[in-house]
Amino acid sequence: MNRYRLMLIGLLIPTLLMIPYSVISFYTDFANKNPDPLSVTVEFRGKSYDAVEGKKAFEQYQCMGCHTIVGNGAYFAPDLTRAYKRFGENDAALAGFMLSGTPAKGMPPMSGRGMGDEDAYRVVAFLKYTDRLDTNGWPGEGSWDRDGSPDSAGAKKLIGADIWQIILGILLFNLMVFAVILNYERGKEDAGRRKHE
Amino acid sequence: MSEAAMEYPSRARTKKYFTGAVLLFVFQLILGILMGIEFVSRDVSLLPFTFDIYKSLHLNVMILWLLLGFVGGVYYLLPAEVGRDIRYPKLIDVQFWFMLLAGIGIIVSELFFTGRNWWLVEGREYVEAGRFWDILLTLGLLTVVLNIVATVLGGKRKMSAPMLVLCWGAVGSVLMYVPGEIWFNSLVAAEYFRWWVVHYWVEATFELIAAGVMALVLLSMTDVRRKMIEKYLAIEVALILLTGIIGQGHHYYWIGTPGFWLFLGGLFSALEPVPLFLMVWSAYKDLKENKKPVANSVALYMIIGASLGNLLGAGVWGFIHTLPQVNFFTHGTQVTASHAHFATPGTYLFLVLGMAYIAVPAPSGRTTFPQSRGKLGFWLLVLGFLNMIIALLAAGIVQVYLQRIQGVSFMDVQNMLLPFYGWRMIGGAIVLAGGLVIAFDMLMLGRNKGQDID
Repeated sequence: MNRYRLMLIGLLIPTLLMIPYSVISFYTDFANKNPDPLSVTVEFRGKSYDAVEGKKAFEQYQCMGCHTIVGNGAYFAPDLTRAYKRFGENDAALAGFMLSGTPAKGMPPMSGRGMGDEDAYRVVAFLKYTDRLDTNGWPGEGSWDRDGSPDSAGAKKLIGADIWQIILGILLFNLMVFAVILNYERGKEDAGRRKHE
Repeated sequence: MSEAAMEYPSRARTKKYFTGAVLLFVFQLILGILMGIEFVSRDVSLLPFTFDIYKSLHLNVMILWLLLGFVGGVYYLLPAEVGRDIRYPKLIDVQFWFMLLAGIGIIVSELFFTGRNWWLVEGREYVEAGRFWDILLTLGLLTVVLNIVATVLGGKRKMSAPMLVLCWGAVGSVLMYVPGEIWFNSLVAAEYFRWWVVHYWVEATFELIAAGVMALVLLSMTDVRRKMIEKYLAIEVALILLTGIIGQGHHYYWIGTPGFWLFLGGLFSALEPVPLFLMVWSAYKDLKENKKPVANSVALYMIIGASLGNLLGAGVWGFIHTLPQVNFFTHGTQVTASHAHFATPGTYLFLVLGMAYIAVPAPSGRTTFPQSRGKLGFWLLVLGFLNMIIALLAAGIVQVYLQRIQGVSFMDVQNMLLPFYGWRMIGGAIVLAGGLVIAFDMLMLGRNKGQDID
């Protein structure tokens, strides 16, 4: 077969298949699988905030820079998909947590980034929406991410009596790999010299 | 000036793309070290900025230097393939400074405007740069496409297959930046299209660039017949696209999309290592055939490193957690971090560095140059990344077991992972040493021959 035709087929067949798959994905998202983000709202001081405003605030404050949402993002902080459930569906507790942060565990207070009550409740609405997403069962039953409660453990520091053992082990590992590399380069030099002679 | 540089004067202009890319890479490494410190200290007052800012810069700086390297690579390789110089050589300079300025804009916005303005910082993984920068950068990259197309259309020769693949990859990369810039109310739809940017970059268009660059570099460095090198190219490209485009499904398991993605994503992404294996296999066969001694062995190291890193990092490390039954537990844990720190540097870092070791010395008038510094840098990078990959994989396995299966709380698990994070930092320090060696070497090789002492 002509190779250009082969490459073109490789491009076109899956691309054409992606169209119906995407259409079905969107249809189910809107039709029955997931809630409409505009209809998920929380009330604060008589005003209501919806999950669409919340999504924008969630992006703006870069929550995904430390946390994950539906498992995507950074792994520095817990997944937020079911955070609303973990907080017992308590809007005020979740908003308060966001604003004050937990500096001892690495979360800065969001109020320091200019987040006010309104934005906090917007993000709460967004997390209420993500909690209702049908994520095909993820995270699994029994995992902390689904069934846990707010984390009471404090952060430890990486300094302890056994740190020298760890450092020694790592050093040994690196020396071993380095010996292999050195041996390889030496062997190549020798082979080159032999070829020269 | 060497002959090639005399024939195509625009080649000398691409040098700064690679020097810039390598310097930005070193900056990315420093950001990585800072993130490592955050992981082991978890103290918001220790460093001037918080974790999320370092993380987003770590990714955005990488995207920037990858784009610089790829654009520079296309500009460097294209003239000889179509038999004419780049159509608008001045644009090469303008585009470089434009991309650099956009990059500085992104960095400043991240540092000082996170949370303040959605147009400046958007805070979505990989596309953290705000809408304003997204649109600006896309427009800038479209002028690159224009320059490539204009050059190709005015070419004297019909474009060869690897160059065609490379150009497809470059143009596709620019186009694939666009889906991430569409606003959706639904998180599901937004994530769906955000992955179009990320996945179609790393597993389709960048992969095409890799295949094209590898073939062209082997062509220029060895005496293997063109027919032999191009033998597997078409089937590689067809397989990359066939598996990669629907293999996208492995990002759609748990984001609120229908269940059929579990089947499709699992099936097609399990096949993704096949073209990567073919790439290694064909490179191996080509090099076995080669009789010509390779003068620029650092560049060859990098290119072979890229093909092996692609197979192991993207192929094997991807495969171990790509099946939905496994990914159900590993999704969103350090296993993914291990995969990312193997696949991306393993493939694209070495690809860009390999290009740099070809494109920087030659226009400066160096046909031969001392190889030892480059080799030292290469091995330090390999060693450092190896530490990081193993530490993160082990951390990920522990995290999966404790947090996802036993239900131990996040912070408790993180406390237990501290030794692994310490190990990862040591790996990071070795990588930084390698990066500094390479950057120093690149600056030395980039000086014009007249200034040389040796």
